[in-house]
Amino acid sequence: MRRLIIASPHRYPDLARLWYRVVSQRVAPAFARAGFEVEIVIFRDARPETFLPENYPNARLETARPKARDFVEFYDAALEFDSEFLFFIDADVFLLDGAWAVSYLSDLDDPDKAAVSFLRRATVPGVYALLCKTEAYRRLPKPVLAATYERLEQWPNALNRGPGENAVMALQQLGRSVLDANAEANAPISDFHGTTVIRASREMFAAEIGEEQFLALLSRKRYFLMAAYDNILLGNLYERIFGETFAPGINGESLGGSVTIEALRRILNDLEPGVLRDKIEDYFARSNRSILKLAAAQGVNYEFPPVLPEHWPPQNVAA
Amino acid sequence: MAGSSTVVLKKGEFYHRKVFGPETINKGAVLLECDWDGGTFESGIMMGGLFRAGRFIDGTFWGGVFWDGEWVGGIWENGFDRQGRYRPRTDHPPHE
Repeated sequence: MRRLIIASPHRYPDLARLWYRVVSQRVAPAFARAGFEVEIVIFRDARPETFLPENYPNARLETARPKARDFVEFYDAALEFDSEFLFFIDADVFLLDGAWAVSYLSDLDDPDKAAVSFLRRATVPGVYALLCKTEAYRRLPKPVLAATYERLEQWPNALNRGPGENAVMALQQLGRSVLDANAEANAPISDFHGTTVIRASREMFAAEIGEEQFLALLSRKRYFLMAAYDNILLGNLYERIFGETFAPGINGESLGGSVTIEALRRILNDLEPGVLRDKIEDYFARSNRSILKLAAAQGVNYEFPPVLPEHWPPQNVAA
Repeated sequence: MAGSSTVVLKKGEFYHRKVFGPETINKGAVLLECDWDGGTFESGIMMGGLFRAGRFIDGTFWGGVFWDGEWVGGIWENGFDRQGRYRPRTDHPPHE
């Protein structure tokens, strides 16, 4: 029987719980029906004791170790697992239809095809939702999947390549390729951005600089605004499904470990019309579609939290 | 002992996309996407950015590029060496 390992690094147990629920319900069974022995591996990048095993039944829970010292190094460590296929699915990516992914397996019968990417966030596919043949990746120079910088002498205009992007080019040099399924219209994927980074940032330095400076930074950084919004959408769904607090703060308050609804609403209310706001509105519309798809797949009739100021476009229009 | 031309960054301070020269001592500030060029990093957090030169004595290095300088101690959360290679948690300079 062919083996498939679905692998993902996680820093926060609540997001991992939601991720695991979707993968175990919608992805693993589809591959099992296609004749695979499937295992799900969660790499706990921090505080492994907070990941309660009963929330991830049947998953293999890994933690930092030599050759997998953190989440990026874990990608390469996963290539050594005893499995013909590896499916990396990022912590805030939810693949909603495993049969759709299975439908691409026949493409991998082609010996020149090394992987299928179901989600691309840059010009080159990364590891965000990557179904790969392990033998093809094991042949590449190590580290295979690590992030890199190029043209550092041109700092601050150096080029940062995310995990997995260099592997695509290394494969091309060997005459092999990664099939990009990203462009498929209405792909059954819900994709959220930066949801771990903003929580880790708060954890690392918000207390050092104070809440006011942290929120002021947020108001200038598009990536953080996107992440804060996405965590609010995900938190709302998580709390509906599990009845527990998502991204709790130090006092246990909902989203206090990210940005609360009230705090983000104040920031958005003060955001002047302009390029940043236009981009944010476009991104939020995209996130709205993602959460509605994810909620529908979970059988939840989703209601948006009251985060947008009244003069912003209503969220349900995006549905 | 800090001289009169020394600039001391203190705990509670936050800097974003700033450049700090050899006269700087960090005693607890958080630096996001900054350029550190020759000073002494005694404590605080360097998140992203470029460590061009200087001494990193203590504090946390997270996601930046360690181009040159002396690593004395501190927490290496992750980052990149001067070849642009990723260096995971604990894999602090000096790098081969």
